[in-house]
Amino acid sequence: MRCGAGIDARMVDELTINIDPIQAGGRLTADAMKAVIAYGDGYSVCDNCRKPNRLDYISKPPVAEFHKDLAVWLNMDTARVVPGARRGFQAVAHTYVHKGDPVLLTSLSHYTEFLAIEEADGIACEIPADERHIVTADAAAEKIEEVKKQHGRLPVLAFIDHVDYQYGNIHDVQAIAKVAHQYDIPLLYNGAYTVGILPVDGKNLGADFVVGSGHKSMAAPAPSGVLAATAERAKEVFRTTAITGDVTKRKFGIKEPEMMGCTLMGVTLVGMMASFPHVKERVKHFGRELENAGIVTDALRSIAGTAILSEYPRKHTLTRVDTTASFDTVAQTHKKRGFYLSGALGEKGITGIIPGATRVWKYNTYGMTTTQAQYVAQVFVDIAQENGLKVA
Amino acid sequence: MLFQAMYTLTDLRVLLRETAPLHEFDAEQKAQVQRLLDNLERQVGSLKQEMLK
Repeated sequence: MRCGAGIDARMVDELTINIDPIQAGGRLTADAMKAVIAYGDGYSVCDNCRKPNRLDYISKPPVAEFHKDLAVWLNMDTARVVPGARRGFQAVAHTYVHKGDPVLLTSLSHYTEFLAIEEADGIACEIPADERHIVTADAAAEKIEEVKKQHGRLPVLAFIDHVDYQYGNIHDVQAIAKVAHQYDIPLLYNGAYTVGILPVDGKNLGADFVVGSGHKSMAAPAPSGVLAATAERAKEVFRTTAITGDVTKRKFGIKEPEMMGCTLMGVTLVGMMASFPHVKERVKHFGRELENAGIVTDALRSIAGTAILSEYPRKHTLTRVDTTASFDTVAQTHKKRGFYLSGALGEKGITGIIPGATRVWKYNTYGMTTTQAQYVAQVFVDIAQENGLKVA
Repeated sequence: MLFQAMYTLTDLRVLLRETAPLHEFDAEQKAQVQRLLDNLERQVGSLKQEMLK
């Protein structure tokens, strides 16, 4: 079935259990799907936009209220919706980073944080993760001192991922923020894998900025996200326009340059808004998600030769696994080579791992029911046994 | 009524997601499917009446 020329209707999540590491937290709620149906047209949230003509002032649908609720929920002072977490990184980097400025991030940081620094002509200075793939406050302190010696000045900003995309490990942002603040370095908390997944208290964590991803973790359409700030920093990153046209003398009211005026004007925003009550509720039940993750992870660990590369016991549902000494040994002689694993999973209605991957790969169990988690666990064990691998 | 019908289908869609890939419904889910399909039939009936009158 097609929904347009050359565009097949996408039924991945209706027909299969999708364990794609980046897709799990962005699956829409029923209410978001309904909002998408009603608000698909371009500027659909702008029907009742009145002076001062800015997105976060629209009261019908309740966009203004949503912005306030977002800030309160994250325990920050001001929030804006942005077209993806990356646009939040970009807005903050563009505000604070100038040519040649050193900027802290980590050896596990997402590439878009590097790009945000690059675009602002800054210098990326990575805090190395330790042998457990954890970024510590001590390592942050050492890196700051190293940057000071090497560049003759302190970093102007720190990007710290609470949960990294490579291992799904949790890093002690609160302790790192304390260190950063001792040097007067503002800290951007990257919550792409936490905001909308587990409770986030920005001020308690010591964040000057909280960035979240709507499409990765808030059950919202792409591209969507949130950038929240403390009152002090909001004045800087959400400053209003001061430009005037030299011929027309036009001014542009209270538009915010870093936001390029209004940000999400339609389906992305209402999708985010419609999911929000459910997202607020679901973060309270992250323990249940971890239990489901444990069912799948334990099954994989029971297959001889399989190693969980992420911290263990797991504290997040995104997990990196090494099956070089298990599933990959089968791939060496299998007629389908490495594709046998994704093929076998596909035949059992499980999708989301990279086709051909049998060595190091990632999966995410977020949003599964317990029945689905048990099913996925059993399928991994069955595939292992069918291919002669030992299972404990 | 148009949106109600589409939203009923959306609720069915979500149920398919929650039970993928086997779509084996327990008693509660079967009752929910029955209720949703009944609603859908009623909603489509109303659409026929309204749009073809």
